Amino acid sequence: MTPFVRLFAGTGNLEFLSPGILLAVAVTCLAVSLYLLLPKSGRDGKASRRIGWLLGLITLGLFIATGQRLGNLGEETVFLTVSLVAVISAAATITCRSPVYAAIWFALCLAGVSGVLLVLGAQFLGVATIVVYAGAILVMFLFVLMLAQPSGLTTSDRVTNEPLLSAVAGAVLLGLLSLSIGRLSAEEPLCCRPPSKAAALGATTVEKIPTESVNLLASDQVARLGGELFGHHLVAVEAVGILLLVALIGAIAIVSNGLEGSQAETSSLQEGSHS
Amino acid sequence: MTTLILLGTALALLQNGLVVGAILFSLGLIGILSRRNLIVMFLSAELMLQGISVSLVAWSRYHGDFGGHVLVIFVLSVAACEAAIALVFVLQAFTRTGRLDSAAWQTLREATLDRSVDHEIPSLDTSTPSFPRLTPAGRSPDTDEHAGMQRDHV
Repeated sequence: MTPFVRLFAGTGNLEFLSPGILLAVAVTCLAVSLYLLLPKSGRDGKASRRIGWLLGLITLGLFIATGQRLGNLGEETVFLTVSLVAVISAAATITCRSPVYAAIWFALCLAGVSGVLLVLGAQFLGVATIVVYAGAILVMFLFVLMLAQPSGLTTSDRVTNEPLLSAVAGAVLLGLLSLSIGRLSAEEPLCCRPPSKAAALGATTVEKIPTESVNLLASDQVARLGGELFGHHLVAVEAVGILLLVALIGAIAIVSNGLEGSQAETSSLQEGSHS
Repeated sequence: MTTLILLGTALALLQNGLVVGAILFSLGLIGILSRRNLIVMFLSAELMLQGISVSLVAWSRYHGDFGGHVLVIFVLSVAACEAAIALVFVLQAFTRTGRLDSAAWQTLREATLDRSVDHEIPSLDTSTPSFPRLTPAGRSPDTDEHAGMQRDHV
């Protein structure tokens, strides 16, 4: 039971506010707000978008209320800020009509995600997300937008496929995921955790804190990540290198083939028009 | 007792990270299901990958090892490959149809499905946005008409 619920349950007649019900309300609000926010045909007024943003903020508040307290106020504040940046700009990415704005919102979302990664103790990955995603991949997206975007908003930007069904599907998925996440507890053995020898022998042991988690945040984290990457996963690194090379060659091959094909098409068209 | 508190904090951090990852993944799923612009669809796919990365790093923090971090590095590399190939395909599709619309390729649909037709297209908002306007103050300056003509570049 979260502190928020305990606070309201203590006042008396609000005992129905269990986390499950809060979660159900949050999921419903999310589906309705995303349906209102997604570009769709028909009446597409500013009022419905405003209601959509309001419902989205209510959803965020409910998720914050059902979330677990971290115990440390500073860490909590930082985590809340960066995750709010990430989630709000992710919602703006998928609801923005202009694809260029969507790409720029996605850049802001990447900044938030990199903040979340930093809070979670992944220093190298936080920086790599900014450098690789925002620096390379997103710029590539923007280049393609500049090359390929017709002027102005096209029809496909103003219409979406089945906004209600997709919003409900995503919200239901989110509800199921957060339900199963909320059921994780320290007492139950997690299925992913390798069983200790004592547990295999049948002895009841107190759950041990992962002692390496202190080492995970040590100052030589990047060096030890490199050691892990090039020690235990050397073959996978080689495979990924080959994959990058194949992707590079494949991209060039597709482009040059397409150019030849289009030239052949245009030349055949010209021949057909001449003859 | 302190071990229990510490364990609870680690679990809370794990759960919060997983919830953020799940929200990002669901938003990406909604985007890829509903949007029709090819580039926005790929942005949504990248959003789902971001959600996965956050979840992996949260698990890695909880277990105190580098497994999740290593997986996220591989996810980054594969995402770079995917973006390169996918954007080439998008460019090819654009040169063939002149549109970035996924419905332009609906001849590839299943034979039993109907053709999707846009019945009602919302009108484009063509009204010019209202910009702030400065109130004129003082007298208007004397303008030299020849100075504007002589300037060859701005």
